[in-house]
Amino acid sequence: MSTASETFPREIAAPAAAVSTRPAQPFRLAEAAGVDRKNLLDFTFDGQRYSGHSGDTLASALLASGVRLVGRSFKYHRPRGILSAGPEEPNAIVELRDGARREPNTRATVAELFQGLTATSQNRWPSLRFDVMGVNQFVAPILAAGFYYKTFMWPASFWEKVYEPLIRRAAGLGRASGSHDPDHYEKTTTHCDVLVIGAGPAGLMAALAAVRAGARVVLCEEDFLLGGRLLSERRMIGNRSALEWLREAEAELRAAPECRILRRTSVFGVFDGAYGAVERVGDHLPVPPMFQPRQRLWRIIAKRHVLCAGSLERPLVFGDNDRPGVMLAGAVRTYVNRFGVAPGRRAVVFANNDDAARTVADLAAAGVAVAALVDARAEVTPEISRIAEAAGAKLLAGARITETRGRLALRGAVVTDAAGTRHNFDCDLLAMSGGWSPTVHLTSHHGGKPVWSEAKAAFLPPSHLPPGMAVAGAATGDPLLADCLASGAQAGAEAARLAGFQTSLPAIPETDGESAELQPLWRVRGGKGKAFVDFQNDVAASDVALAQREGFRAVEHLKRYTTLGMATDQGKTSNVNGLALMAEFNERTIAQTGTTTFRPPYTPVSVGVLAGRHRGHEFRPTRLTPTHDWATEQGAVFVETGPWLRAQYFPRPGEADWLVTATREARAVREAVGLCDVSTLGKIDIQGPDAAVLLDRVYANNFASLPIGRVRYGVMLREDGFVMDDGTTARLAGDRFLMTTTTANAVSVSRHLDFCSQWLWPELDVQMISVTEQWAQIAVAGPRSRAVIEGVVDAGFDISNAAFPYMSCAELTICGGLKARLFRISFSGELAYELAVPARYGDALMRRLMEIGKPLGVTPYGIEALGVLRVEKGHPAGNELSGQTTAADIGLGRMMSKTKDFIGKAMAQRAGLTATDRPVLVGIRPWDRAARLRAGAHFLARNVENLAANDEGYVTSVAYSPALGHWIGLGLLQRGTERLGEVVRAYDPVRGGDLEVEIVSPVLVDPTGDRLRG
Amino acid sequence: MVEIGLLSRSPLAAVLQPGHYGQPGQDGLVVQERTGLHIVNLAARRGQGGALAVAVQRSWGLELPTTPRRAGDGRLAFLWSGGAQWLAIAEGTGDLELSLKDRLGSLASLTDQSDGRSVLRLSGSRTRETLAKGLAIDLHPRAFTPGDTALTLAGHIGVQIWQLDDTPSYEIAVARGYAGSLIGWLLPAGEEFGITVLPPG
Repeated sequence: MSTASETFPREIAAPAAAVSTRPAQPFRLAEAAGVDRKNLLDFTFDGQRYSGHSGDTLASALLASGVRLVGRSFKYHRPRGILSAGPEEPNAIVELRDGARREPNTRATVAELFQGLTATSQNRWPSLRFDVMGVNQFVAPILAAGFYYKTFMWPASFWEKVYEPLIRRAAGLGRASGSHDPDHYEKTTTHCDVLVIGAGPAGLMAALAAVRAGARVVLCEEDFLLGGRLLSERRMIGNRSALEWLREAEAELRAAPECRILRRTSVFGVFDGAYGAVERVGDHLPVPPMFQPRQRLWRIIAKRHVLCAGSLERPLVFGDNDRPGVMLAGAVRTYVNRFGVAPGRRAVVFANNDDAARTVADLAAAGVAVAALVDARAEVTPEISRIAEAAGAKLLAGARITETRGRLALRGAVVTDAAGTRHNFDCDLLAMSGGWSPTVHLTSHHGGKPVWSEAKAAFLPPSHLPPGMAVAGAATGDPLLADCLASGAQAGAEAARLAGFQTSLPAIPETDGESAELQPLWRVRGGKGKAFVDFQNDVAASDVALAQREGFRAVEHLKRYTTLGMATDQGKTSNVNGLALMAEFNERTIAQTGTTTFRPPYTPVSVGVLAGRHRGHEFRPTRLTPTHDWATEQGAVFVETGPWLRAQYFPRPGEADWLVTATREARAVREAVGLCDVSTLGKIDIQGPDAAVLLDRVYANNFASLPIGRVRYGVMLREDGFVMDDGTTARLAGDRFLMTTTTANAVSVSRHLDFCSQWLWPELDVQMISVTEQWAQIAVAGPRSRAVIEGVVDAGFDISNAAFPYMSCAELTICGGLKARLFRISFSGELAYELAVPARYGDALMRRLMEIGKPLGVTPYGIEALGVLRVEKGHPAGNELSGQTTAADIGLGRMMSKTKDFIGKAMAQRAGLTATDRPVLVGIRPWDRAARLRAGAHFLARNVENLAANDEGYVTSVAYSPALGHWIGLGLLQRGTERLGEVVRAYDPVRGGDLEVEIVSPVLVDPTGDRLRG
Repeated sequence: MVEIGLLSRSPLAAVLQPGHYGQPGQDGLVVQERTGLHIVNLAARRGQGGALAVAVQRSWGLELPTTPRRAGDGRLAFLWSGGAQWLAIAEGTGDLELSLKDRLGSLASLTDQSDGRSVLRLSGSRTRETLAKGLAIDLHPRAFTPGDTALTLAGHIGVQIWQLDDTPSYEIAVARGYAGSLIGWLLPAGEEFGITVLPPG
């Protein structure tokens, strides 16, 4: 074996003297298609100052400055550089910005450079050049696939406290800022006839065709420039440079009134009826412009979709193919042509396809020395030989790279030719191409499986595409520019036609010739060093072999066992190579091996943009009562009840806590008069000749017999026989009722009634609508309430006890002619009214009632005091109406009519629901009257073990009763009604409570109801 | 009308002040809270839909819409708002519920919703883009035109929207209790375009 070695300068030639004080860009070339050389930008990487230009990515600017080492790998902490020039990047993952805007795991290849950008490398300590964890690569044999399943097994208790934290620190990516994101995000929706995804040659042609037909078009491009590969290659379209053609196409689309071009926008998922996309509005700026979001989530609803997502180049799998300086050939051309950056001074090109020659030609044209063209194919075309010769590159056909040199940067490569001869080349750039994989991700989001094509050595879009989708361009597996232009035009025109427009196929321009012949090479055998398949997860060919040996042969097992294809890049560069290797090891075809499932998102999406404006107080909408502003003035503390904010209590200066306040408020209701906004209770206006029939069917008790001007308490059951809701219903006229529901169930009861009237009994002539928001309703409760009500009711309305007894209702006027509704109903057990006025007057009514009630000791009360009052009276509420209680359980069994049918009647007769040992509603009081009760405690007999088997029920609600001077509660206790006077324990293991409580009637205050009838 | 001794209060009193918001020098969105609107819900009695349409036609010369449309003008309009259900909206001081009752008798169940809904008028060159940040429906002139109405969501809030003209201007009705939250969504959504909030009217 002989070794051919060529000399290579160890020091890169010093750049020409810098004109400005800015750091030089020694690898910047004279020409660039997509960079504005006049506009200089400063940035830092790991604290070092560099400069670049507008139009650069962080990756291109780093390369221009000669920075090769950009990150450390996930597991072995191997030095890594920049592999790609796009969203598929597995290596160059960095933290962008600092402070609260610090963003980890950003791909340097898509991060647009801006003035003042701060970037930091990740997963290294103490520094990128010297990383302590780099020792991992020397113990690589024990860190192979699945190592943590095998190594960190014993003792099991160590996993959570020791192993996992250690692994997370050693492996891992960047750090989140830990601060509130200072920027905002938003969501929006757009509709169109044709959505074109990708603005490369195919996407541009598709958009042109659809726009010319008059269709509404949305064109999404992930990059900040339109053009796709046109920016990266030196091509001709219609006898001029492709860049000129691109400029014209873009200008035409920009001028079209119904074409929306979204740049910096990644379409990340195909969902039912809509596509999801993220527009990075402010990612390329230090701070988003005033009033602009950082990112915007687009929901795009289109009649037809044309996917022109292009293709992704595959690396070649050979020993130590991960050294900084080993780069995808297409990315090399992108850096040279688009960014005007030489990714090295001296290159070796290694490929299994015709793209190699193009890379050699472009490097040579840019003045980069090409030491060798290593073509894996035994035969190469004369054209390729000619290009290699012109570039001065040694052509090695049928050869492989079997070894690379260098530590923090590539220094050389060893090529083994067909005869087994080793050729040693010094180089700092190794451009590789294993062929191109169509970007078929979105085609599979509705479950379609990509189809393997042996001829094209690629997975092609499935035949079963998401509805309305067509695929064009390189994503179809036909990468030639001429084909891309043609298929794009055809798909765009067809999409517009299917969306209802008259179309004609646009003229398809000529292009210069090219070829894309390929002979698969899935791995180089017999090389030295780890041959990486998945760079991001440090999965080597040997790991795939190990997975195969250990039985993890299915593609989904391969992925989970080795982590191949996981993390931010989701295997964009590694999946196909990994599958091909597994197929080889299993001695099956790639088609038989299959592929893992592509799911959204195609590319990482921040949680912030998915949340949009819905964060903090805006997480969900808030419903406010008509007296909210007044309550705020009073210093009320609010609490969420469903979507509503209700006044919980109204603290006064000097009151130590809510309990003191609620006690004062409850006492005021018992002794004087209190006011409470009860507008949140559901109110349903039920009209029509059959209104009473409907009520009789949905309520367990009778309503047809309710006289006009009277109110009745009702309970309704679900079909399954359990209690659904309760409330009062007033009869305003023969054919008009006003039903009230609990606050929590207002919407579900409305829905239930709609279902009953529209579906169960459409023959009923009944109409319903919610009037919850129409009326402000204020409870006026307490022995002095009548005097307050008399102060507002207009002359001529008699509300004396005789004329307006308990459970009356009336439509009347107040305060000089304002229409109002008055109900004499009581939740507190006191003499009480609820007064309703059109909602706009609720605020003023509350103020007026406060004024009138002032000499009477009027006190506003919140829902804490409301709760105290109802517990004292034994009224069931949400805690008791839990969906698991029957009417009998909560003491309402006798309300269930025996003379009529109603919803839930049949199912309520089931044995389990009528069992005599069911827990039923009881009252409790502590044996030691000074003790405090806790809701949630379980009932246990006095002399039994604290076991679930001995559980007899639980405490549902508790309150400190100002009327009784001690704590009281409600609970559900087995056979409770028979056990009045018995003492049981309220056992509360969560809060360490174990109290003796006496079982009493649930109605602890005014059991005869004299007060509310007074 | 009787002089009522209570002052009415808008649910937006604390959250929507006249003035300019967002991008200075731009007026992409103009917002005005509508006041003095009478809103009555009509639900046809069973089997009376046809007779109701005839009565509306005879009384006001308006065709009761059977699709999501609005018939009428600012003085009186009928908006389709569900199956056999409409919102009658009128400006002025007359008692709309009473006048509907007089002419429609028992053909429909009537329910006053004047206080149950808050109505905003939205106009300006960037109204559609602003609304797109909350409404998923297509408001492009090819899809939604003056006279069209829709029951939909703005953010997570149920609304009814209708288009008045193609300047474009719209009105959007929301349950009163959610009006503040709707503004909490609308103003941030429109601030990039510049917002003028007019005094209620």
